[in-house]
Amino acid sequence: MAALRGEMSWFCCGNAWGPCGSTGHGACGTCNSGNYQHAWPNTSDACYAITHPDTCGLGMSRRGCGFRHYTTNLCNGARVGTTIADCGPQTDLFCGETTCCGSACGSNRIIDLTPAAFSAIASLSVGLRPCSVDIV
Amino acid sequence: MPHTLDRRRLLATAALGGVVGATGLGSLAPEAAFAAEAAAVEPGAPDPNFVEGRISKISGHLLLVTGSDTVLHSIRVTDGTSIWKLHPSTFDQVAVGDGLYARGVRLPDGTLAADSVWVNIVNLHAHIAAVGRNVLHLDHMGRRIVAHVVPGRSAAVYNGTPAVSDLSLLKVGRHVQVLGAWHPDTNEIDIATVYAAA
Repeated sequence: MAALRGEMSWFCCGNAWGPCGSTGHGACGTCNSGNYQHAWPNTSDACYAITHPDTCGLGMSRRGCGFRHYTTNLCNGARVGTTIADCGPQTDLFCGETTCCGSACGSNRIIDLTPAAFSAIASLSVGLRPCSVDIV
Repeated sequence: MPHTLDRRRLLATAALGGVVGATGLGSLAPEAAFAAEAAAVEPGAPDPNFVEGRISKISGHLLLVTGSDTVLHSIRVTDGTSIWKLHPSTFDQVAVGDGLYARGVRLPDGTLAADSVWVNIVNLHAHIAAVGRNVLHLDHMGRRIVAHVVPGRSAAVYNGTPAVSDLSLLKVGRHVQVLGAWHPDTNEIDIATVYAAA
């Protein structure tokens, strides 16, 4: 299967300070900001009904809690492996949005990483980066 | 990856009192620095080189941090540590009570020699409930967040277009992602960047 190309961001989950304190452990009940985990837009029918990546023309496979993905930051080639711990991002709200680093671009939000995972491949202060997501 | 080893050795040396100035570690561009990090953590597992929590004490260049899971951490800030607090910032701007995420390398005594520290950083998905003068009122998971526009800093990205300082196109009801800095123990933040959907 070819890697899926799009945008990545980050989100907090689990025990947390500030506005993150109300987020909880995610749809899978296992999510923690300090773990290598991510949110995926198609973890269940209920999840898909919220995120609707199909609205943006994306066909994203159904994958459940604990499934492994490998995300590459297209700005620097850094890669991190994570497991599904939540439903998201809400892809349909940002249809067509494009983020680039020079000529390396990604369109549509396809994955949200925990702060630990995102910060392993990019600075948290950038918020959004083009990426590719693979299963190996 | 020799480059990675060099960088990690520099961090550890700096934390242990070696003569390493900001220029010694600061020559890496941010993206290059993260590309150089080793990621040997099993997917799903906690990253031992990452810390989150709130600062309970500052002693010299050592931050004592209480994790949200109540685990205690020591974080050593060196001349080479990158600090973000709404802007790229300096150690003297860090305060007791601040929340943080930090990444670095563990020293033999368990202290984290910090490569990067993000202070009070939040990345919220929300709806705009109201717009005031230099302020957005956000609905975030059923709670109200007061997001302040900081002149000269706050920027908006409208559906992937380049960031601009004009936030006037943000309207009530729109979904936004807001990257900013929390005001500790309040429901207020300062806005760094607002990403707005079409």
